[in-house]
Amino acid sequence: MWTELARPKPGRWPAGVRLPIIVSVHHQSEEAAVEFDDGRADPFDYSERQYGGRRGAWRLLDVMTKHNILGTWIVCGATLEKYPAISREARKLKHSFGGHTYAHEMMCNYPPEEELGLIRKTVSVFEDVLGERLRGWRTCFASHHTIDLLLEHFSFEWDASLWNDDLPYMIEGHGNKLLEIPFSQYGDAALAIQITNPAPVNPFCTWHTNTPSFIANALRAQFNALYERGANRPVLMPLSVHDFIFGRPSRAKVLDEFIAFAKEHEGVVFTTHDEVRSWCLKNYA
Amino acid sequence: MPGDRPNFMVGGALEYGARTGIWNILELLDKLNVKATFMICGITAQKYPESIKAAHAAGHEIAGMSFGFDRVRTMSFERERSVVTQTIKALGDVCGVQIKGWRCPDYRVSDQTLDVLREQGLTWDSSLLNDDYPCLFQCETGSLIEIPFTTSTADKTFIGYPYPQRGGPQALFDVWNSEYEFLYGEAAQSSRYMMLSLQTWAVGRPAPLQALGQFIKRAKRDNDTQFTRCSEIAEWCSNRVAKRN
Repeated sequence: MWTELARPKPGRWPAGVRLPIIVSVHHQSEEAAVEFDDGRADPFDYSERQYGGRRGAWRLLDVMTKHNILGTWIVCGATLEKYPAISREARKLKHSFGGHTYAHEMMCNYPPEEELGLIRKTVSVFEDVLGERLRGWRTCFASHHTIDLLLEHFSFEWDASLWNDDLPYMIEGHGNKLLEIPFSQYGDAALAIQITNPAPVNPFCTWHTNTPSFIANALRAQFNALYERGANRPVLMPLSVHDFIFGRPSRAKVLDEFIAFAKEHEGVVFTTHDEVRSWCLKNYA
Repeated sequence: MPGDRPNFMVGGALEYGARTGIWNILELLDKLNVKATFMICGITAQKYPESIKAAHAAGHEIAGMSFGFDRVRTMSFERERSVVTQTIKALGDVCGVQIKGWRCPDYRVSDQTLDVLREQGLTWDSSLLNDDYPCLFQCETGSLIEIPFTTSTADKTFIGYPYPQRGGPQALFDVWNSEYEFLYGEAAQSSRYMMLSLQTWAVGRPAPLQALGQFIKRAKRDNDTQFTRCSEIAEWCSNRVAKRN
């Protein structure tokens, strides 16, 4: 069991920060490919997703580097093993990292002892491949045990698995503390496409897709609303993008243009989960 | 689709492609002097030989896309081979062409697809979606060039019934232009290609056809952009591989 600590009032970001934006790159490549009844991956879905590890992740890193911004890489353990070079490069550039389960297991379907084993496995892959203790976690479809497991068995500094608030909050349990940094559905998995998994394989062999200008408009609307609110209270814009969705050229262009647009505004800062945590700790001190 | 029986209305929407759409597309490509690759089912060529002959005569590449929209993912080697040979024969009979390339109609390859294609003398395949670059596959009887494509810019993704049309009449130009401009920017650093996959039943309709014309004209404004066919991409790649070895 765990409890939430009261958020001190008024919460404040550091001077000059009006709207922090965290770009988190979901680097999972083919891990969540839909399977046919015979237990084998759908070759179409697998191939579209595999683009993420082979090319998409690199393109997203290029776009972020071009704008000189950092973000958080949310990486599956299996993806890190298959495509270590991209994560090593992102680490060299000082991006933050969060674990994203081992092979994109939907944790709500796993009993707690299996979930624990999968988190442990992922943590050890990060140690082996990146030589790094994992500081953050974003699960895939949280179970009712996820937060307890993180508090009881690990020393994560932040979790970003929940969708239930605009702002971070501190939770405490099992003699441990963890900062929850919630995110939202304003990410590419809702704005850009409807992925086939867990929906059934569709007969048209495409994902349901929105146009780049639709996605761009939705991101700007979200940005404008938060920027206006940010005039007199703290706000945070989480922006999750997937290597196989936004890594495609037509959508990478949307991210490229959104970053340029956002940076024109005073007080907009692109940041990482690690940095937001360090800001929040000051609020809870 | 509700139920799994053939549905005459949707069947008719697809039939539009063979009756009318392909002719509209051929007319547009001719007007803009663009040569394309047509991926054709053997049975479609038998049912509608005139349009396939016209496409071949106009200098477009004719490639295979199975015989009767066969899904090969779980087929035996022998059965998959017979799909390929039947298709080669049907397209050859209609317009005297020996096809060089292939796309699986549902983009779902089997473990042996590339081996079967190479064995039957094909030089390229375009059924995968996992890369920006062509790749060279070593098959049992030789090598084959894979030219990956994407459905993220495919016309049916935006205008294919039964899904709602997304983005209105400007959707197709918007997504193609986005893809194009980003790739064009990257091409300053290293080689890029853009694969635009179109359905005769989707882009062959008058309104989306205008978007295609608009996009082709826009891309042609850049002097160093070239419209080409899959077999030419495959040839450029084989030449590079030969030089490297």
